[in-house]
Amino acid sequence: MAEERRGEDIVSEYLGQNPHLAQWVESFRGYCETNKQWSARREFILRNMEAFPTIDPGVHSSSLDRLLSLSMVWANNVFLGCRYPQAVMVKIKDMGEGIVVEDVPVRTTRDEIVAKGKRNASSGNDGDSCVKKAKAGPNEGDGRPACQKQGPSPQAPAKHQPFFNRLYKAVAWKLVSAGGFGPNLDHHEILQSCVESCKQSLNCVFVPLKDIPDLPASRVQKEGQVCELRCSTVYMGTGYGRDESAARAMASKEALKTFQGHKVTVKICRRRYRGTDVEDVMLLDDQPRSQGFPPALSYPFLADSGEGGAS
Amino acid sequence: MGVPAFFRWLSRKYASIIVHCLEEKSKECNGVRIPVDTSKPNPNEVEFDNLYLDMNGIIHPCTHPEDKAAPKNEDEMMVAIFEYIDRLFNIVRPRRVLYMAIDGVAPRAKMNQQRSRRFRASKEGAELTEEKAKMREEVIQRGGYLPPDEIKERFDSNCITPGTEFMDNLAQCLRYYVSERLSNDPGWTNITVILSDASVPGEGEHKIMDYIRRQRAQPHHDPNTHHCLCGADADLIMLGLATHEPNFTIIREEFKPNKPRPCALCGQMGHEIKDCQGAPREKQGEHDQFADTMPVSEQEFIFIRLCVLREYLEKELTMASLPFPFDFERSVDDWVFMCFFVGNDFLPHLPSLEIREGAIDRLVGIYKDVVHKTGGYLTHDGFVNLERVELIMQAVGVAEDNIFKKRKDDDEGFKRRMKEKKKRMKAERAPAYLTTGQFAPQALGGRNRPDAVHNARHQAFDMRMQHNQVPGPDPNPPPPPPLSQSLTRHVLWVCSGGPSGAQDARGVKRKAEDSDSEPEPEDNVRLWEDGWKQRYYKTKFDVDASDEDFKKKVVRSYVEGLCWVLRYYYQGCASWKWYFPFHYAPFASDFKDIKGMFSDFEKETKPFKPLEQLMGVFPAASGNFLPETWRELMSSPESSIIDFYPDDFAIDLNGKKYAWQGVALLPFVDERRLRAALADVYPDLSQEEVRRNSLGSDMLFVRKSHPLCDFIKELYLAESQEATEMPAELCHGIQGTLTLDGDPILPDKPVQSPIPLLRDIMTNSAIGAKFLDPQFAEDFVFKATVLPKAKMPAKVLKPGDWEAGNRGPWRPQLGFNSNRQQAHLNQSGFRALGHSMGRSQGGQYSNAPPPRNYQDSYRQQAYRGGSQPNYLCCWGGGGGEEEEEEEEERL
Repeated sequence: MAEERRGEDIVSEYLGQNPHLAQWVESFRGYCETNKQWSARREFILRNMEAFPTIDPGVHSSSLDRLLSLSMVWANNVFLGCRYPQAVMVKIKDMGEGIVVEDVPVRTTRDEIVAKGKRNASSGNDGDSCVKKAKAGPNEGDGRPACQKQGPSPQAPAKHQPFFNRLYKAVAWKLVSAGGFGPNLDHHEILQSCVESCKQSLNCVFVPLKDIPDLPASRVQKEGQVCELRCSTVYMGTGYGRDESAARAMASKEALKTFQGHKVTVKICRRRYRGTDVEDVMLLDDQPRSQGFPPALSYPFLADSGEGGAS
Repeated sequence: MGVPAFFRWLSRKYASIIVHCLEEKSKECNGVRIPVDTSKPNPNEVEFDNLYLDMNGIIHPCTHPEDKAAPKNEDEMMVAIFEYIDRLFNIVRPRRVLYMAIDGVAPRAKMNQQRSRRFRASKEGAELTEEKAKMREEVIQRGGYLPPDEIKERFDSNCITPGTEFMDNLAQCLRYYVSERLSNDPGWTNITVILSDASVPGEGEHKIMDYIRRQRAQPHHDPNTHHCLCGADADLIMLGLATHEPNFTIIREEFKPNKPRPCALCGQMGHEIKDCQGAPREKQGEHDQFADTMPVSEQEFIFIRLCVLREYLEKELTMASLPFPFDFERSVDDWVFMCFFVGNDFLPHLPSLEIREGAIDRLVGIYKDVVHKTGGYLTHDGFVNLERVELIMQAVGVAEDNIFKKRKDDDEGFKRRMKEKKKRMKAERAPAYLTTGQFAPQALGGRNRPDAVHNARHQAFDMRMQHNQVPGPDPNPPPPPPLSQSLTRHVLWVCSGGPSGAQDARGVKRKAEDSDSEPEPEDNVRLWEDGWKQRYYKTKFDVDASDEDFKKKVVRSYVEGLCWVLRYYYQGCASWKWYFPFHYAPFASDFKDIKGMFSDFEKETKPFKPLEQLMGVFPAASGNFLPETWRELMSSPESSIIDFYPDDFAIDLNGKKYAWQGVALLPFVDERRLRAALADVYPDLSQEEVRRNSLGSDMLFVRKSHPLCDFIKELYLAESQEATEMPAELCHGIQGTLTLDGDPILPDKPVQSPIPLLRDIMTNSAIGAKFLDPQFAEDFVFKATVLPKAKMPAKVLKPGDWEAGNRGPWRPQLGFNSNRQQAHLNQSGFRALGHSMGRSQGGQYSNAPPPRNYQDSYRQQAYRGGSQPNYLCCWGGGGGEEEEEEEEERL
């Protein structure tokens, strides 16, 4: 927890030392901003203030407005899922480096919805020649605080373990009532209903196979989708399929396999994510693993790069 | 109002409010069209005094029609608009006032909706162009023929926003149109025309309401004026009710769902763009004489009689044994208020209130229960009594849980039915030649010879029944998925189950194909399950349920919103600045202790200037309507308002299926920063742009023969600079002040035509001046009551105490006139009919088609001919959401 809090603590400490600034910066809070959104945006503003030397606290100026505008761009991108022209995205990506936002909402942009609709309509024939493919995972955005070298908090496994113990029981009962684990189940349906019965939601991220780096070079497959399942940021499984629903079914099946052991454990493990090694929170069974992990498709942990996350 | 379903619900429940319009068509004689003389009595057997046009409902279909080819250029658009107005004028035939209102700058509260529509429209337009280009290439490669792409700019419907050049031209054209008709059309002789163009702030329908409200409040108003308001928005019904005028009628196009649309590429009917083959055009009629007519009936109009709706409401709302005297007018206001909960342009609707699910009936039920406890009405003259509203909300809140569960059940039931239907349809589509038994196709050289038919009758029965059954699993498995062994071995996480992995993958694939359902959008809120409130706040607002402060903020804003909207309908815009700063509504059960949440709005707020508003509602892609330096603010990384203009934005489907039904998560505009940024670029405006950016005023026109004309002429002669009060007696008691126009239209001064297609008016008889509604003190309250001398129109509905024996059988009234002459044939007529129809078929209901116009019967033929199955599908949609295709909302 302590590490997660660090960014916020620094901000409040800094504001504690500069009370005049605290009041001033507070005046930029939007009426509809939640505490979480505001504290993140406030950090963005304070961190980047030095880059706008003409800003004079207490006075409205156009350079202040530019900073505020960029802070809104950043917040809109992170919290609302908006995308801006490339030049703007590059800029805020830079400026937003190192700001920790836990539990970023998952959004689907209009382009992604439209592209998906088209793909369904034209599946079968020249599926990929005409469609802008969905972006590789909703968290991958040029500006969304994607992070290559950071990790989740060390306490995360302990935090999530009780939930997965509950889920373990739910899955076990569900499988009993479905006649045992086997190939002919609707795995996704089972997993989803179990997760939901534990009052959580299952998050699916889809990425076209060809957009994933780190694949064995010898693969011949280029088409198809890969799905990654997570539940409250904890990785559960990955699967490949011809289309999204097949990929999701396969991923669910993989996830359910984890529940076939004597217990499930949440652990921090090292794996690949977009070309680099990262630490991820993963759900594992009690079997010794022979192979490495598949690369991650999404990465919900954003960490402070300056102070160095876990890398 | 953003509730297309509202009108449908209303017209189904209160069917008698609708009267079909009778339209006298112009005749043609020797190739010359003879215009209809609109000074003759109205064929609808009713005389209207005032006709109000909510022009945006006319501009949109005339500039980018959905059921026919788009006009080629701006001039054609203008002519189409003129013709549309002519048509309405011919149907309604007003005798006193024609009021044309174009949307001006809207209150801030509307801006969120406008932004979302324009951001979407811009993207949709670009996508259509892209798809067209792609399909065109494909079709031509396949050897199809397409009419050459006309060289025309894609009409960006976003230009129908105040402040653009297009709107400015439109205002000019309408001035010309009005002078032309006043000068030449006998039906316009005594009409006073008021034109409120886009330079006057306010939404069109609300400018109209403001006019009516202010006229009613002055002593010279004729309380028995018969108003007719044209527009398709459902909120016109609320607005009409809110006036408490006894004679108020709305006219709108009859809504026909699933009208066939021409293909955007080749312009032919019967297929969509994605199925375009580029086939040669079929001949229309024997000699291709109907080449230019669309095989759809011309849009017809209907009247909605609000006095009949009032009768219905009276029956429904009247309550006996109240602790206070029952006042029907007040209960109508409450009804209008409750309709806002279900949806309006300014607030998202409450999650538990869905018009399709009978939300209004539920509210009325609750209202009648609760009103006994509240001790009075919810609203008064457009002011809300929050304490009483809270009681209603709490009662809705109690039911919320069950509403969500029922919604889920209904939804599943609907899905199940659709699935079954789909299966049935699929079964029916199986090729007819697929025979079974002895006749089943056999592989050559196969050993399993089928048995010969033993029982021919039974075999025939089996074959027949086969069509009615759902086909079993496909005997021919689909080819194995292209998943090669090498992949399965290497991509270990996919199928770490070893060699069985490939098998599994195949199994899954088949399953996915069998279910043939698109993946449902994930619903993480699951309102039907315990803990929905927490999940809703977490997913939609990104806050924990424990954050009571935030929840309260949302509720407070919503309460303000309800007050603002009601005030907007009854008193006019209370604040140009106020808006609802969230994308979602709270739950009804969250409305606790709302009594003190609202006191009053900020006073003396000002509307945006037109160009400022453009900056507020346009995406960067529509920046071409703005001056260059202004446009730059929409895209430059250095701009201090760049955050208003995302390229792409998230859409929350919110339980819906299509992107256009979802909630667009667009950022809100920070007014202070917008103004500050624009202050720097204001000097860059050209003189022309400065003019377009300024606020204009309403214009009043009359003909030379009108009593008011001499009065206005005197003003021009005297060159009086100050505003002059209109003498009420000259113009049916209409009040207001007149000011001289800078570039006036004067009798005998030729008016130049802004459109090359149309001629200049050499002998002009119209005169125009600036017009301003009567002004009242700022704290003046417009009373929501029936005026003292108003006569209520005769009842239309069957009285509850009607006894058949006494007064004869009840005869329902179909039109406006209760003693309408029934059409009948005399003897010779019957003889003539019998002669031409042939008596052999005879009978009271022979199969002679009802006499409709030619196009209509042509359409039916087209359907029956059925060369394109798409038509049939349009008809076939039985029940459920399919036929409830959403009505296009006008901007």
